[in-house]
Amino acid sequence: MNDQMRAVRDFILQRNSTMDTLSDDLDLIDSRAINSLAFVEFIFLLEELTGESIDPEDLDLDDFRTLTAIEARFFTREAVR
Amino acid sequence: MAVREIEPIDLALDRLELMAESGYYNPYTMFDWPEAIEPDKPWMSESLTTLAGTPMWDELTREQQLALTRYEAINFFSLNIHGIRELLSEVVMRIHDRTYAGVSEFLHHFIGEENEHMWFFAQFCLRYGGKLYPAQPSLRADSVEHLSAVARELIVFARILIFEEIVDHYNAHMATDMGLPVIAREINRVHHQDESRHVAFGRMIFVNLLEQVAKRDPDEVPLVAEYLESYLTYSIGTLYNPAAYRDAGIPDALALRRRALEHPARLAAHEQILKRTRKFLSKVGVGRELVKR
Repeated sequence: MNDQMRAVRDFILQRNSTMDTLSDDLDLIDSRAINSLAFVEFIFLLEELTGESIDPEDLDLDDFRTLTAIEARFFTREAVR
Repeated sequence: MAVREIEPIDLALDRLELMAESGYYNPYTMFDWPEAIEPDKPWMSESLTTLAGTPMWDELTREQQLALTRYEAINFFSLNIHGIRELLSEVVMRIHDRTYAGVSEFLHHFIGEENEHMWFFAQFCLRYGGKLYPAQPSLRADSVEHLSAVARELIVFARILIFEEIVDHYNAHMATDMGLPVIAREINRVHHQDESRHVAFGRMIFVNLLEQVAKRDPDEVPLVAEYLESYLTYSIGTLYNPAAYRDAGIPDALALRRRALEHPARLAAHEQILKRTRKFLSKVGVGRELVKR
């Protein structure tokens, strides 16, 4: 796991103190691991980690649904647009 | 809306309705909109900017400081607009509902006034800033699904109340800040005046619904307190918009935002902004002291 994905995991675990494990395929939104109130901070974290800005009016929620999806969209070579 | 699980809301609103009627004004004609705003004046009180009291403010050039007041004013008014959009959609879906029949007369004033506020905030942003900042993304699968119907109903009105009280902290200060351009001061003054009625109503309906929550299941009250605490933190965070820092020509906007949010001077400022709301929440029995850490 690279440092960026570690920071993503830390963000989620810090906000979910009862969560012991965080699987790569957990649906972060349906499970409320990232809830509505934390979502804005999460977007800012991703922007800071990638250096890429995210348009709040043009989001595909599926890009944020699992750690696997987040890594594929934001932190793989193919993700660079 | 599961209204059957909520007892009809009946509140003594005669005084607030009379005040709304006697204080009614035409927002479309009452403001004198200048062509442009004096370039050397801040659009927002400097002490209310998100970097106030920190070395990050002192490190800015005067030009950047003034630009920050301009873009944070646009952010503040944009937040008002998006907050009003949310609250209007919620209240419109409740007016003349059986549960709210007893308060529908006041809700007519509320909806009308909020629409007018949204208009003058948007006028300011579009005339002088050329834009609004977009609403922050939200997840419809929300953070309240674990709560009962009546607690979710309470949260709807709690969000409206908290939003109005935070905004009013800013309005009350800027309504008398003689360093601001007249139009900025006037908008804050007029809004402050109307919001005092809305806050009074918001507190009454909050107490009514909180009593219903506690009567149904007292163990749910700490869960509501936990949500409200998160909502207060979230609301403070929205004031720190990295787009406003970027527009003001300040580099490393996201890192700056992080540093600012954690700075002791800012933490003290947040306590001031939330002081009145926290005092109220504690008084009615749903303050942060109930939240298990």
